[in-house]
Amino acid sequence: MELTLNVNGREWRGDVPGRLILADLLRDRLHLTGTHLGCEQGVCGACTVLVDGEAVRSCLMLALQADGCSIRTVESLAPDGQLSRIQAAFLRHRALQCGFCTPGFLMSITELLDSGQRYNREELAEMLSGNVCRCTGYEPILDAVLECQD
Amino acid sequence: MPRLGLENSRLLITGNGSYLADLEFEGCVDVCFVRSPFPNAEIARVRPPVGSGLSGAELGIRPLQLESRGLVSVPWDPIAIHRVRYVGESVAVVWGKDRYEAEDAVDATEVDYDRLPDGIPVHPEAPDDVLFSTTFDSGGFEEASSAAHAVIEGSFKAARQSALPIECRGVAASHDSASGVTTVWTSTQIPHLVRKGIALGLGVDEDLIRVLVPHVGGGFGVKAQVFAEEIALAALTRRINRPVRWIEDRWENLVASAHAHDTGVTMRVAVARDGTFLGVDADVVADVGAYSVWPFSASLEPATAAASLFGPYAIRAIKYRARGIASHRCPVGAHRGVGINAGVYATERMVDTIAHELNIDPFDIRRLNAIRTMPCTTAAGRELDSGDYLGLLDRLASASAYQELRRSQRQSRQEHRLVGVGIGFFNEHSGSGPSDYRRRGVTTISGEDSARVVVTHEGRLQIYTSAAEAGQGHAETYRALAGRELDIAPEMIDVFEGDTDACPKGTGTFASRGGVGVIEAVVQALRKVAQLDIAPGTDVTHVHEAKQLYPSGAHLAVVEVDADTFVPRVVRYVAIEDCGTILHADIVDEQVRGGIANGVGCALLEEHRYSAEGQILTASLLDYLVPLVADIPHVELHHLTNPSPGTTLGSKGVGEAGTIGAIAAVSNAVADAVFPLGVRLTALPYSPTRISDGMPEALPDR
Ligand code: FES
Ligand code: FES
Repeated sequence: MELTLNVNGREWRGDVPGRLILADLLRDRLHLTGTHLGCEQGVCGACTVLVDGEAVRSCLMLALQADGCSIRTVESLAPDGQLSRIQAAFLRHRALQCGFCTPGFLMSITELLDSGQRYNREELAEMLSGNVCRCTGYEPILDAVLECQD
Repeated sequence: MPRLGLENSRLLITGNGSYLADLEFEGCVDVCFVRSPFPNAEIARVRPPVGSGLSGAELGIRPLQLESRGLVSVPWDPIAIHRVRYVGESVAVVWGKDRYEAEDAVDATEVDYDRLPDGIPVHPEAPDDVLFSTTFDSGGFEEASSAAHAVIEGSFKAARQSALPIECRGVAASHDSASGVTTVWTSTQIPHLVRKGIALGLGVDEDLIRVLVPHVGGGFGVKAQVFAEEIALAALTRRINRPVRWIEDRWENLVASAHAHDTGVTMRVAVARDGTFLGVDADVVADVGAYSVWPFSASLEPATAAASLFGPYAIRAIKYRARGIASHRCPVGAHRGVGINAGVYATERMVDTIAHELNIDPFDIRRLNAIRTMPCTTAAGRELDSGDYLGLLDRLASASAYQELRRSQRQSRQEHRLVGVGIGFFNEHSGSGPSDYRRRGVTTISGEDSARVVVTHEGRLQIYTSAAEAGQGHAETYRALAGRELDIAPEMIDVFEGDTDACPKGTGTFASRGGVGVIEAVVQALRKVAQLDIAPGTDVTHVHEAKQLYPSGAHLAVVEVDADTFVPRVVRYVAIEDCGTILHADIVDEQVRGGIANGVGCALLEEHRYSAEGQILTASLLDYLVPLVADIPHVELHHLTNPSPGTTLGSKGVGEAGTIGAIAAVSNAVADAVFPLGVRLTALPYSPTRISDGMPEALPDR
């Protein structure tokens, strides 16, 4: 079926099977492998992308459901090699170890930061409960977000 | 990842990592496994679609078998041929041009099973289902107990859990018929052992297998087994002569990779009136699942649990029996601390039980019984070479303001709040080497660690090791070390891991080998290079035979349990750790913090459950609960650094300490919080359900 969407500022048009999930479209057809799959059960958040500015689990969305939408993946955060504030803060706070959860966290956090709202630690902990990290114990991730809200 | 460049974190943070599922291969097919829906059945017939599937019998992999002391050797067909023994065991391999088509091929596969009745042995070779059994007796327990003020009993159970890296496993393989070499990319922690397992399964020389490890999204032990899928993909690519890949999904990961723990410890402890521990008699029973995992075998969990009982305490008499029992459940393998988690958890819960019974403060009873002299050989035969156990406890008391904590706990209790304080005091064995494996009678694992250092003609330094990075920061540690040893700038250093052709042979990454044998091999190789004046062309390999070392720690958790919902929450956490000399301060902190988060999950949330019919009930992350941001407290972390004489630099390893300490401290804190309700918690996780199930029938007015 015919599908048109905008990914990281570029138009993409193609024919996709009805059962193709958005994450597989991004990873396999567009070769944007920064979006990871950690569960395909909607829990771990590793597959989080922004669809029209809203954080969405790309493992639970069919590609066709994104028809006409604008999508941002982790690859959009440092377009010309210049790390975004949150990426730089992640490195500074050592908020990643294996890095597998990181793209999902970055996209969830980008949505929060883009909203312009400021949240305290407890609020952030609740708001990031859709992303799982097994390596870091989360503390440095929260530190990085708090720094970027300043 | 074969090459761990200086820009590695930057690659990961921009989405440019190369994890297994990101690799692309020309002409590759996607593979799925057809898995048994039954826990116990004979396979009558397997008919995968012609041209896109093979049964276990058609794939022709040789059964693998393990021999070691105390172990009943049972054959393991990586793809089952005659009988399935747990839900999720593979019976056939199928493929398609993408994952979707491969899943269609799973649906199109016809398998006839003849269900087997309960009550017949899991393996005919083990009629009583005991796959592993060992005993130890230092002597003296009977005398100790007859002279004792009391012999106190307790029984504690560690839950069946998953290591749960956020990246599931994955394997890709391709075969070059000209050279006869099969290359296998796999998200493993143990590349050389995987090569060995594949070679055995295929019946070919190890030289004809090359194992490569891409970026790995966390391992935590579960990627330190040789799995059926690794052998099966190697066999398949040789058969169909095209590249193949399989990406594990989370259902497979939860159901059919390897589980962990599931160990119960029953103890009798002889104590003097003043609380001195005189002797311990323990029975350790682990449900090891349907098979002995390769290469660690069914001994892994029960043997390590038993060996860690009462580790940091000065006791004169200890005896135990430890058994691994087969069941129709997923095989049990390694997870961050393996059986040490269950052994320390049971010990520390027991110590609190004794303290309560004798009306002694939990801190005081630990201080009274802690080992005071180093080095020493314990009653259980462990050779402790360093450490300051009283120092750990005293630092814990001062850092947490322990007396003050207890005062405010009493205050909270008067306000009918359920607040508990728990201590986890432990030592643990790391870096097991050749002599340790020989002592256990394990012949499959060499126990060696190695490093090769090359000075290129351009003057760059290349470090190759037998370890395999999965997020621990090996390269950063080696670069810092090489900088100190040879005064070389980090950007001049290239690190390579996870390539059995390029890297020297060794045991891989688990049990904190990175901080023990591997780092020792790197240090020795670097020093030889220094002696050779870092001359271009220098090429030095050092193989190290490590011996077990004993990192130690003392953790404290404060938990508040909601009086209405019984939801426990860790409100404060203090950890004192001693991993000897700190090799890299940030990385040590990260390992401890991450380990503690893992331990909080094990203590409060995580548990695999099976129905009475043997169906697994926790096949998704909606049912298997993992800790989220709000579950993890801020960790107040302090270090003692008592160097080990067993390594040149004095390091002892730090990968598991956080998890081990946290399970004990948090479980004791929850138990303490609900003690006034009359609830006695013994089986992990200490969840709201366990607490409400433990409520005495007649609920006293709160
Ligand atoms: S992969 Fe989508 S939530 Fe886990
Ligand atoms: S960094 Fe490994 S899961 Fe988060």
